[in-house]
Amino acid sequence: MREVEAGDAPRFLDRLRAGETTAFEELVITYQHRVFGVAVRMLGNAAEAQEVAQEAFLRAHRGLAEFRGDAKLSTWLYAITSRLCLNRLATAERRLHRQGEETLLRLAGGEWPDAAVERGEVEAALHRAIAELPEDRRIVVVLRDLEGLSYEEIADVLDLELGTVRSRLHRARADLKDKLERFLP
Amino acid sequence: MSCHDARESLSAFLDEALAPDERQRVAQHLEGCPECRRELARLEQTVALLHRVEPVRAPVGFVDAVTAAARPRPWYRRVAAAVFLPFSVKLPAEATAVVMVALLAVYVFERTPALQESARTQPEVREDSREKTARPAPPTVLTDRFARDSSSGERSPESKARPLEKEQDRREAPAARERIASDAETPKQEAAPAPSAPRLDAAPPVAAPPAATAPAAPAAPAPGAAPPAGKVEGALQRSQAENRQAPAPPSAESSRGAPAAPAAPRLAAKRAAPSADAVTGVAVRDRDAAERDLAELIARVGGRETGRRREQDATIVEAVVPQPRYAEFTQSLARIGAWRVEAERPDLPAQVHVILRLQ
Repeated sequence: MREVEAGDAPRFLDRLRAGETTAFEELVITYQHRVFGVAVRMLGNAAEAQEVAQEAFLRAHRGLAEFRGDAKLSTWLYAITSRLCLNRLATAERRLHRQGEETLLRLAGGEWPDAAVERGEVEAALHRAIAELPEDRRIVVVLRDLEGLSYEEIADVLDLELGTVRSRLHRARADLKDKLERFLP
Repeated sequence: MSCHDARESLSAFLDEALAPDERQRVAQHLEGCPECRRELARLEQTVALLHRVEPVRAPVGFVDAVTAAARPRPWYRRVAAAVFLPFSVKLPAEATAVVMVALLAVYVFERTPALQESARTQPEVREDSREKTARPAPPTVLTDRFARDSSSGERSPESKARPLEKEQDRREAPAARERIASDAETPKQEAAPAPSAPRLDAAPPVAAPPAATAPAAPAAPAPGAAPPAGKVEGALQRSQAENRQAPAPPSAESSRGAPAAPAAPRLAAKRAAPSADAVTGVAVRDRDAAERDLAELIARVGGRETGRRREQDATIVEAVVPQPRYAEFTQSLARIGAWRVEAERPDLPAQVHVILRLQ
C-alpha cells in the first residue's frame, strides 16, 4: 500500500486538484494495473477493459476538483471502475454477448493465450469459475481476493452494507469452492 | 450456533472480519464440528487458489493513451468539434439538404420554360448526330459554301462571326420558340425562320471549330464577313420577325447582340427566303445535270419549285415538298450528290419549304 499512501499524500492531492498534468500522469502510472485488472476480470475482454479503464481515469480527471479526500484515491478509482463495469455488463447487448461459450473461453485464458499456457489448467479453471459468477458476487470476490480490499473498502466502493459484502463474498467463495473442487488438495 | 449459521460466517471468519463475540461463537462451533472444520479448510484452500492468480498488467502505452485523452484539446479542435457535427447528426442533415436541393431544382425546372426547352433539344442533338453518321458524309467544304456572301462572292471568315452568333442564338432560343408557337396559325412565312436557330446552333459546321476562332469574334462586323448561311438566316429571320411583331424582351436582347454581325444577316436575307423549314447542301459534279435531276425529283415527290437562283459557284433552289414524302425526297438526294441537312425544323409542316444549295 505504499503507492496508495504516496498517492493520497495531501500535496499530491493538491497537485491533482490544481490540474497538474504530471500529477495526473503519476496517478495513472500508480493505479493503471489495478484499474485495468478489475475491468478485465469483470469484462473478460482486454480491449473492452482498456476502454473502460481509460474512461475511469478520464472521469476521475474530470472529477478531481470535487474529490473531497474522505476516501482513499484507490477506493475512489475502484468505485468509478466498478460502476462502469457493472453498467456495461448490464447493457442488453453485453448480456446477449455473454450468453455464448465464446466469452467463457476467453475468460478461461483465450484473452492471453501465451500466458494461459504458462498458467496451466488451474489458472484457466479459476478464470472460468470467476467469469461464471454472477456479476454482483464476482465484483466482490475480485475486489477482495484479487485486489486485496478490506470489507469496509468494498462496502465503500460498491456502496453496500458490510453484511451484504460479507454475504456476497461468502456465496462467491462457496461457488468457487464447488467449481474448483477437483483442484483442491 | 447451528452448522448453517457457522458456515455463513466461515468466509468472514477466515478474513478475521467478524466481531470478537461472533468470532468466538464460530470458533466454539468449529471445535465440536468436524464437517464445518472440513468446510472451512476447503474454503481456505479455495481462497489460497484465488491468491495464486497473477495480477493483471495494463497494456503497454496505456498511460500515454490516458494522458493524451485527458489533455485539453487545442482551441481549434474544440471549434472544429463544434462546427463539424457528429456523423449521426450530419448524415440526416445532409440527406435532407440533398432532397431539398433536388426539389428546388425540379421546382425551378418546372417554372422555367427555357430550361425545359433546352432539356428537350438535347435528345434532338444526339439524334441529329446519329443521323449524320448514318448518312453519307458530305465534304466539309459544303458548310463553308453557305458562309459565302452571294453578292460579293468572297469566302467569309465565318469563324469571326460564329461564336457571337451562337451566344446570341442561345439567348434567343426561348423567344424563337415562343414565336413558333404563336405563329403556328399565321402564314408560314412568318413562323418558319425561328426554328432554324436552335437546329443550327445544335449542329455547328465542322469545318472550323468555334473555340479556335473565339478571340476573333469582335472583328465580325467587317463588311465582307458573312457567317454560315444557316446561322445568318436564323439570326436575320429572327430579327425580321421581331421587327414585324411586337418587340419582346428577348428581341431587345437580340438587337443588342445584332451589331456583332450586322451586315451578314442582311446579305443572307437577300439570298434565302425566311420561310425555310430545312436547308440542305448538295455537293454535285455537274450543276446543270443536278438541277435537272432535282427538278425531276421535286416533281416526282409531288412538290413544286418555288425559286431558283444561279450564282457563280452554287445554285440555290427553293422548293415545297409534301411532308409525307419529304423523307423519300431527302433519301433520293443521294442520287444527285453528297448531301447534308444543315438545318431542319424538328416538327415539319405539311408542306416542307426546303432550300437546297447545289454545288
